[in-house]
Amino acid sequence: MTRYALAIDIGGTFTDAVLLADDGRSFVDKTLSTHANLLEGLFRGVDLVLGRAGIAPADVDDVVVHATTVVTNALIERKGPPTGLILTKGFADILYIRDEHRYDMYDPQIEFAEPLIPAERTFTLDERVLAGGTVEKAAADAEIADIARRCADAGIVSVAVCLLNAYRNGANEARVREVFAEVAPSIHVSLSSEIAPQMREYLRTSTVAINAFTVPITRPYLTAFADELKRRGFSQQPLIMLSNGGVLGAERAGLHPVRMIESGPAAGALVACYFSRLYGIPDLISFDMGGTTAKACMIQNHEPLVTSTFEVDRRYRFKPGSGMPITVPSIDMIEIGAGGGSIARVDDLGLLKTGPDSAGSEPGPVCYGRGGTGPCVTDADVVLGIIDPDRFLGGDMMLDADAAGAALEGLGKSLGLSREQAAWGVFEVVCEQMASAARTHATDRAIDYRGLPLLAFGGAGPVHACMVAELVDSSQVIYPPLASVLSAFGTLVTPAQIDLVRSNVVLLDAIDWASVTATIDDMVAEGTQALREAGIANADIRFRHGVDLRYLGQQSEVRIDLPFDPRQNREPDAIRELFETEYAAQYGLKLDGMAIEIVNWRTTASGPTPQRGAAADGDTAQAAPGERTVHLRGAATRVPVYQRTSLCPEQQIAGPVIVEERETTIFVLPGWTLRVHHDGSLFANRDTEAA
Amino acid sequence: MDGVQLQILWSNLIGIVSEQARALQRIAFSPIVREAGDLANGLFDARARMVAQAVTGTPGHINSLAAAARNLLNDIDTSTLKPGDVLITNDPWMSAGHFFDITVLSPIFREDRIIGYAGSTIHHTDIGGYGIGAGARDIHEEGLWIPVLKLYEAGKPNDTLFSIIKRNVRTPDALLGDLGAQVSSGMIAAQRLNALCDRYGLDDIETLADEIIARSEEATRNSIRKLKGGSFTGVSTFDVPGGEEITLKATVEIDADAGEITIDFAGSWPASRLGINVVPAYTHAYATFAVRSTLNPDLPNNAGSLAPIKLKLPDDCIVNARYPSPVNARHVVGMYVPFPILKALAQVAPDRVVAEGSGAVWTVQIHGSDASGRAFTSSMFNYSGGMGARASKPGLSAICYPTGVSAVPIEILEASYPIVFTCKELEPGTGGAGRQPGGLGQRIGYRMRTDRAWQLNTLPSRVMHGAEGLDGGSAGAPGRFEINGKPAAAGRKLDMQPGDEVLMVTPGGGGFGKA
Repeated sequence: MTRYALAIDIGGTFTDAVLLADDGRSFVDKTLSTHANLLEGLFRGVDLVLGRAGIAPADVDDVVVHATTVVTNALIERKGPPTGLILTKGFADILYIRDEHRYDMYDPQIEFAEPLIPAERTFTLDERVLAGGTVEKAAADAEIADIARRCADAGIVSVAVCLLNAYRNGANEARVREVFAEVAPSIHVSLSSEIAPQMREYLRTSTVAINAFTVPITRPYLTAFADELKRRGFSQQPLIMLSNGGVLGAERAGLHPVRMIESGPAAGALVACYFSRLYGIPDLISFDMGGTTAKACMIQNHEPLVTSTFEVDRRYRFKPGSGMPITVPSIDMIEIGAGGGSIARVDDLGLLKTGPDSAGSEPGPVCYGRGGTGPCVTDADVVLGIIDPDRFLGGDMMLDADAAGAALEGLGKSLGLSREQAAWGVFEVVCEQMASAARTHATDRAIDYRGLPLLAFGGAGPVHACMVAELVDSSQVIYPPLASVLSAFGTLVTPAQIDLVRSNVVLLDAIDWASVTATIDDMVAEGTQALREAGIANADIRFRHGVDLRYLGQQSEVRIDLPFDPRQNREPDAIRELFETEYAAQYGLKLDGMAIEIVNWRTTASGPTPQRGAAADGDTAQAAPGERTVHLRGAATRVPVYQRTSLCPEQQIAGPVIVEERETTIFVLPGWTLRVHHDGSLFANRDTEAA
Repeated sequence: MDGVQLQILWSNLIGIVSEQARALQRIAFSPIVREAGDLANGLFDARARMVAQAVTGTPGHINSLAAAARNLLNDIDTSTLKPGDVLITNDPWMSAGHFFDITVLSPIFREDRIIGYAGSTIHHTDIGGYGIGAGARDIHEEGLWIPVLKLYEAGKPNDTLFSIIKRNVRTPDALLGDLGAQVSSGMIAAQRLNALCDRYGLDDIETLADEIIARSEEATRNSIRKLKGGSFTGVSTFDVPGGEEITLKATVEIDADAGEITIDFAGSWPASRLGINVVPAYTHAYATFAVRSTLNPDLPNNAGSLAPIKLKLPDDCIVNARYPSPVNARHVVGMYVPFPILKALAQVAPDRVVAEGSGAVWTVQIHGSDASGRAFTSSMFNYSGGMGARASKPGLSAICYPTGVSAVPIEILEASYPIVFTCKELEPGTGGAGRQPGGLGQRIGYRMRTDRAWQLNTLPSRVMHGAEGLDGGSAGAPGRFEINGKPAAAGRKLDMQPGDEVLMVTPGGGGFGKA
């Protein structure tokens, strides 16, 4: 019996569906996302892939996994039922005051996003927990009940609670939930001590507010999704992709929507891990470039890097600081405002810039012929001859090469360059922009990026990856099959996983092991519960532990993974050694005699990584290679053009070469050689100097 | 060099300083560096001209660092520098205007030749002497003065200097940790600059620097050329701790042909006996900031973009501090320097300026002993009032302009020191009315969890007169500083009793246009 697994990834522009059979066949579909009702486009894609495989919903006996942009959309559109916020008395304006930071020092016109939960729906509670965890003043039930009634009267359906120092002791927050359960049981309550039990009140409040705001949108969505699956005869409970690179059951995901933000890109990073294991390449860089942004992630030892803080919905010129911060464990993604739709311009200094303005998909690049006037990265690719204007999306969409040429001509004039030179400039500048972001990101994390292979996917990724690889001193680019729906595939090779963190600040030399054990036991219990809901047997659950620590007096922590369970191995010396090694690796120094403080304890519970394969979709068709002129570094060069479906395993082609597939084009530079792997992946290797 | 090549190399240089700054910020001990971002990083060419700067920190640091490299390298014979050398100074006149700010400068060698310098300035937790505050009577009371010296010589630490520093500051561990961070961030910059030269086959960055500086200077001149030429004057008055009412007068001379601006502070207040006097480099830093922020905020900061803006400072003036005037709390006056300039510029670029805001952030430092008798000295932390309104947007609340430093989270302070906050909220009604209203100030209350006496160093300003509105907008509310419900004055360090409660209400910003 063939087993089938189904994955659906709803992104900002497209909804991708992948049906994977365990005999190696795959069926994919890409349709436009239906923003008014995301499930409509979702099930359209599902019907299509099932139809192509000729199977019924009940035949999908392996997992059904879903990655979705629903949470991100809710935050950007700010549409949702009224949400309330409960803060400590005297501190009602945490979301308005933020961290008092003017994120762009020079620009006096900066703006901030309005707080997600406004002042009129913010309530304060006369309570206080001290930094050490002592409850100085307990919350009075009568006061909580009064707030609950006022919330109910105001039509509030979900509240966020963030009380000062609750990361240390959540007793007062817990009482809020208990009283709400009695007085206003229909109101959903999100507690900061559960959602993000970490110090820094603004960061924690922002995180729990985002959670509370998106619960009323996400839970019904996930319920409707699960119900519709059931109605159609699917027997599997769906799993939901999270931003930490794990999947969880829909019910739990619905309670923690803040963990679902960026789940699609996280799936992309997981794909990179999959190929990293498949090809035995422990460290690589995933490189996903689409219409408006590019995303990269460093894979180290087959695992993606993770981060504890990131930002959503940057409101002012995409600037860091203009959005809302979130602190939950997530895949450490570098997002660059550079894509096929990025507009090129010459600035006041006479420099060629690409982005941050983007023509997106509407009106799109000039060559789309939909009213776009600014020369875009895709226009430059067309002028250079890398993209064939007659075969874009397999010829379904004709591009206007003349219009693109005229736009680049104009750009060239202001630089004193020809249209082809200007187009090459755009190509080079956008690649350098991505390369420099990747370099900074890697260095920031003490990773030597030089020589790391790139895994290229997304519509514009394979076009630019080889150039980016040159600029980050890489000597290999991997172009996997299913490149255009790779994130959806990624959800199918993602293990069930939850990352938990608790602040329990202790000096390394004076750890209260009983308290630490209780903290970790608590996380293990929560992790076990979450994974069982995702269908993982107890025996298959693996726990990993880690700590965030710093020298006493520092304000920023270094994160280390412990190769042991600190409840059994109470080994401060081993922890110290790991910390000092990591600290030296990151900062190049060791501080002798300085006390070390542990701030956070982390536990990751994960299930086994599913073993599923990716194969190219569709039939192979033999076709002789064509040829066209590419303006390479200003010189017109004849370059052979292959169809990806016509390539044979182990075939080798010297660059420059172009390989076309329906949704993207692979462009390999001179000095590189392309080799076809027997599983359908393409490897571009930089020729050694001697060769 | 065409616009494509230059863009690629330039963005690489800015990438290097950003990496350097992030490394510094992550590694630092002092909360003011890590949480508030009170730091500056710059990359200089072999001729000590600043070519790139990280986008962080405060104008005061950033723009004074530009002068610091030049001053330091004038003070020593650069031909004697060896790989592994690291220079240090906290001379107020050479770098950022008070002892707390230590500048570290590392020569970057490519083989045996210096191709540039990596510099950083950060605000350290303590530097001995008076501590934070304006109460010292001359500069020597203010702390340890480190002339231009080698902190490392050919990679070896200068043990004599380290011993002197260690013995003369209250928090040696934090200071040495932060100095280590500065040295290490300089090493990262040196590696990166060499890697850049390798990647693009450069022997040095002199041609690149020439190109960057020339284009930036021309762009600044062009933005000035678009203005109406002439002479325009702005005056701002504000009160400082101790009650002095200070007037700053700026006459902005716009030469629209040459594209140059000269700012003359004649008519400004004389030197103060309090430690709020501002050295020329720091005045220059905030003055150039006001012009750049109004005219071309997107232009990267470097020697070229700063060159067309010149200053004239009279003798005996609060913004032209002379030895041995105390300068410890120079930011209290320095952060008001942009306001008279903005008022002058309002006459030629009314849609781009900002109305007067709360001015300086209110800084706080506490020290004493906790309930168990253990001594503590906090790092300096600060709170903003309201920003002045913009022509077409309201002023931001709890945001300071011109500086951009963050507030340290309450939970971090409470976990680090025996302080308990009683409130921190916006104060309604403090922003000046106007077509666009000024930003709100905030109400911040705290007490200490100790049964011993403690000391408070704080510098509230604008407690008598609020920020003026612009173009018919109303003034913002002045601030309030109270101890146990009674107005208090804070020219000098205050002795506090265990149960004392402090309340600080920071001033609001001025409105813009008639309401």
